[in-house]
Amino acid sequence: MQVKTALEVKDLQVFYGDKHVVFDVNLKFPQHQITALIGASGSGKSTVLRSLNRMNDDLARVTGAINFHDVNINDPKVNVYRVRQRIGMVFQQPTPFPMSIYENVIYGLRLAGEKDRHVLDQRVEESLRQAALWDEVKDQLKSSALALSGGQQQRLCIARTLAVQPEIILMDEPTSALDPVSTSQIEDTLVQLKEQFTIIMVTHNMQQASRSADWTAFMHQGHLIEFDKTATIFMNPHEQQTADYLSGKFG
Amino acid sequence: MTPERIDKIATGIILGLAVMVGLVILGLLGYILAQGIPHISWHFLTSGAESFAAGGGIRDQLFNSLYLVVLTMIVSVPLALCAAIYLSEYAPDNRRTRLLRLAIEVLSSLPSVVVGLFGYLVFVLKFGLDFSLLAGALALTILNLPILTRSCEDALRQVPYLQRQAGLGLGMAKWRVTTKIVLPAALPGIITGAILSAGRIFGEAAALIYTAGQSAPVISYTDWNPFSPTSFLNPMRPAETLAVHIWKVNSEGLVPDARAVSNGSAAVLIITILLFNLAARFVGYRIKRRLTK
Repeated sequence: MQVKTALEVKDLQVFYGDKHVVFDVNLKFPQHQITALIGASGSGKSTVLRSLNRMNDDLARVTGAINFHDVNINDPKVNVYRVRQRIGMVFQQPTPFPMSIYENVIYGLRLAGEKDRHVLDQRVEESLRQAALWDEVKDQLKSSALALSGGQQQRLCIARTLAVQPEIILMDEPTSALDPVSTSQIEDTLVQLKEQFTIIMVTHNMQQASRSADWTAFMHQGHLIEFDKTATIFMNPHEQQTADYLSGKFG
Repeated sequence: MTPERIDKIATGIILGLAVMVGLVILGLLGYILAQGIPHISWHFLTSGAESFAAGGGIRDQLFNSLYLVVLTMIVSVPLALCAAIYLSEYAPDNRRTRLLRLAIEVLSSLPSVVVGLFGYLVFVLKFGLDFSLLAGALALTILNLPILTRSCEDALRQVPYLQRQAGLGLGMAKWRVTTKIVLPAALPGIITGAILSAGRIFGEAAALIYTAGQSAPVISYTDWNPFSPTSFLNPMRPAETLAVHIWKVNSEGLVPDARAVSNGSAAVLIITILLFNLAARFVGYRIKRRLTK
């Protein structure tokens, strides 16, 4: 099956000061699929993820090309705020802002200048439905987001990202701070979301990668070792290092 | 000796020392209040000070102290907040900013007499402000800035790093993240810190003797024109504060009831600071609750 590419990374190198941490990564993230980045701590997978929407701008030097709709968004001249509206991000820990649920969801939209009450109301419902949170919070949209449980907060953050209608959603270990029930709710949500969005996530949880991801990239010490269909990576990887990692021989 | 025994002895010593500190503080507080409260009356709080006769009050000094705190906060809060935002959100960690931090720390341990004399030379003489509330407020600002900057910076730093990341991830510019996300989240801490520092400068005397002055000219509480020399709002008038009053009554007071006046003033001072502290807790608690409800 031939799939379209949503985002293409070419010769990506990342340096923290003098330290070279990501070497020559080349990847094509398929559109409307979930791609998991796996690897041991310090393998550079989060660094790669954060480079994709320029979140490393202040922390690291990133070279190479990141092509999104034929534009290299790693070019310093590109407007990073626009990039981040098209390529959203969800973090390890839920990060609701200290305001109401409603305000949280439309925060990004407000920022983009949307003022029409109808549009805002509609987008709040739509985003919360997509994040599978609507039924739980529809009667308390005006109450503080901080009163929600951890899992609900994380789905709220997903809804907040969705409300801006990005094309790609980056997720940095989105369930690592959550309990198993919340985790499986979020995984179910992801599968629904990939019909409209391209999802790229970093995970430490091998079951999560094998359960939810269509594609998996394995990284080790800053190098991309292998990138293939998740089934291939898990069932018969081409590289010995991948096999060793998955069978727990290191990492 | 068994580990349990050592543990018991260590706990006993720590507890004993803590109780000692507590007793000293409570004893001091109790002594001041016990000596002063009998002298506090409605008459004491609402009448002017006497120069030679007994029975003088502290109306003007109390008002001057409060007004001076307000003026100082108007000057110092914006400055401290901007400095704190720079230090916590923007400053890179390099030699220059480390020097800046060191300077702030040194400034915070500057003796207040030195600040007072500096204020006398610079604000009173050089800037020609004379002995005035404004000169006093500027001197107090110097005392207040380092502490307030520090507490604002701490409050800003306590906002989780991920909150900033989340804002940036939504496509917000750094300034927006700072003003719309970090600042509101840090607000309870900032307000608490500001009120606590207000309590601290409320009791300041040494920095004011040569800046706000030691005289309390007759002022009118019905004159609302801040440019009128007798108006209570005029920032250019000299103003003796409560703490300065205590010092002056004790050192060169000619009133026969100097002891009673200073005891009463001290009690009023302590009670006011106590109220500042309680207010800080209450306001901080209320804001936090409003944010999480």
